[in-house]
Amino acid sequence: MTLFIQTVVNGLLVGGLFVTISIGFSLAFGVLDVVDFAVGEWVMLGAFAGVASTTWFGIDPIAFLPVVFVFFALLGWLLSPLIYRVRTSHYARPALMALAFTFGIATLARGSMLTAVGFDPRTVDIGVVNGTVTIGSLHIPALRLLGFAFAAVATALFMLFLYRTRTGLAARAVAQDKEYAGLMGVNVKRVSSLVYALYAGLTAMAGVLIGGIYSITAQDGPLYTLLAFFVVVLGGLGSVGGALVAGLLLGLLEALVTVYVSADYTLAVVFGVLFLVLVISPRGLLRRGLA
Amino acid sequence: MNRADAMVPGTRWQQASLLVFLVVIATVPFWADDYWTRIFTGVAMWSALAMSWNIMGGYAGYISFGQVAFFGIGAYTTALLMQKGPGWSFFATLPVGAVLAGVLAVLIGWPVLRLRGAYFAIATWALAEAFLQIATAAGFTGGSSGLTLPINASTSFFYYSMLIPAVVTFVLCWLLLERSRFGYRIKAVRDHEAAAESIGIDTNRVKIQAFAFSAVIPGVFGGIYAYWITFINPTSVLAGDITDQMVVMALVGGLGRIWGPALGATVLYLVDRQFIASFGETTAYIAVIGGLLALIVLFLPDGLISLFSRGRRMALSRQLLVRLLPDRSGTTGRGGRL
Repeated sequence: MTLFIQTVVNGLLVGGLFVTISIGFSLAFGVLDVVDFAVGEWVMLGAFAGVASTTWFGIDPIAFLPVVFVFFALLGWLLSPLIYRVRTSHYARPALMALAFTFGIATLARGSMLTAVGFDPRTVDIGVVNGTVTIGSLHIPALRLLGFAFAAVATALFMLFLYRTRTGLAARAVAQDKEYAGLMGVNVKRVSSLVYALYAGLTAMAGVLIGGIYSITAQDGPLYTLLAFFVVVLGGLGSVGGALVAGLLLGLLEALVTVYVSADYTLAVVFGVLFLVLVISPRGLLRRGLA
Repeated sequence: MNRADAMVPGTRWQQASLLVFLVVIATVPFWADDYWTRIFTGVAMWSALAMSWNIMGGYAGYISFGQVAFFGIGAYTTALLMQKGPGWSFFATLPVGAVLAGVLAVLIGWPVLRLRGAYFAIATWALAEAFLQIATAAGFTGGSSGLTLPINASTSFFYYSMLIPAVVTFVLCWLLLERSRFGYRIKAVRDHEAAAESIGIDTNRVKIQAFAFSAVIPGVFGGIYAYWITFINPTSVLAGDITDQMVVMALVGGLGRIWGPALGATVLYLVDRQFIASFGETTAYIAVIGGLLALIVLFLPDGLISLFSRGRRMALSRQLLVRLLPDRSGTTGRGGRL
């Protein structure tokens, strides 16, 4: 029984990080109208930035987080006009081409990192927090607590931006209807870039923490893309509340499968659940998303 | 005009070049050495694989990132059935792999193809990743150490075992996609799904048929490939890079064109071999593929094949001119299916 509770807690704590990734991913989808296949690569690149912070600069990855954010936000800011251009181009099938484009970027990132660091798994060495916090008979790794705290704060800030600022309002307007948002004086292109930049930065920061909790290899990007997509589909594409529930659920599911079945089958189980959800309720568990 | 003229497209000049081309590819083992015969074997295989991807990507307008799953199913079916126990003959195993791949495609396509294209893309991808995991973890597939098949050393045997199905694939695709009502239906779905539905096309059915068709092809080629390389493991027949290659080949050649994938496969496979010859097996190739894919989408969305038509060349130079002029913003709209 203790093992079960322990597993549930561990899973929920990691689930927080999935929520952070998925909310940005979901909003970027709404604003750019493109499913960003590079989402997992941002996680992977972020984790390696965390590795670099200790090995190259000798700074603790937690202190390095702001640098990671700025760097990847900048990268996202530079990349998003290209995605926007493909998406709004006069090609025969802009949506499909945009999908292929982000896939190309993801493959480029994966190939480059594989060439640079090889297949060896690395761990982000977060020295500030280690050991476990003991509550009753539960032993919770401090790092997971920190990850969850980070996720909660980052998600809250992101939501504040979305629902309490004029730019956030503009971003939600663009996600709903680009044409009308444009007519209301929103600079669609700039808002898209901003959202994409924020999302890339956030995701990379989450990547640093994920790289501390699990080890990561240069080829793990697609795995995290799949997990982010799982959350977004389960929650309903474009639904923030759905992503919140689904992200925690994914963490739980992953932890339970790893402990009670085998880590080898995580993806197979995740895929099975995804498949069932799509069959039963294509608009997500809460039936709020877009089919 | 006689009957043969009606059946084969193009001018007499084009018909003659087609004939020469067919003679050339049919006689490769007689004039090329083993090394080049093997390279052409690879070209034939990749052409057919890229074409299979093109059926969904180019003709139906749905991107499949999990095409390798069907390839792997074919490969493992052949490998398992040719083991000592069952001891099937090679040719008998191919239809089994094809049928399994087709059935799986129907099962996957049925729930997923009703939704936006992005769902399909990710569901197929997840499928492929799940298969990779299962094949690595399960016992009957030999896990990561893989399976060994009986050895057949004849280079020309494999050349023809790849070439004949590849030619059949292209003829079938041409007949089905360019010369039949099915082709019109699938293109109508791609160009405007709602409009297609409104004129009485059962769009789901057409999409599932197309997906099953596009799955059967890698199912067959996976089997042949397994026998060709005589040793398979999850990373050699189920790795995502195989799908990436198909996607890039089809896009580089030309999406939604019958000759596009063949052209893309030929060019890229030769580049790939050259790359390996000069730098060895390297992951840098993955980066090159990714960068190439992005560049093609940005600058040559209709692929290399579009360079062959004069009209397209003109349009391309016009596009370049337009790019130099100020940005045409405000054309955003919410159209599209993804």
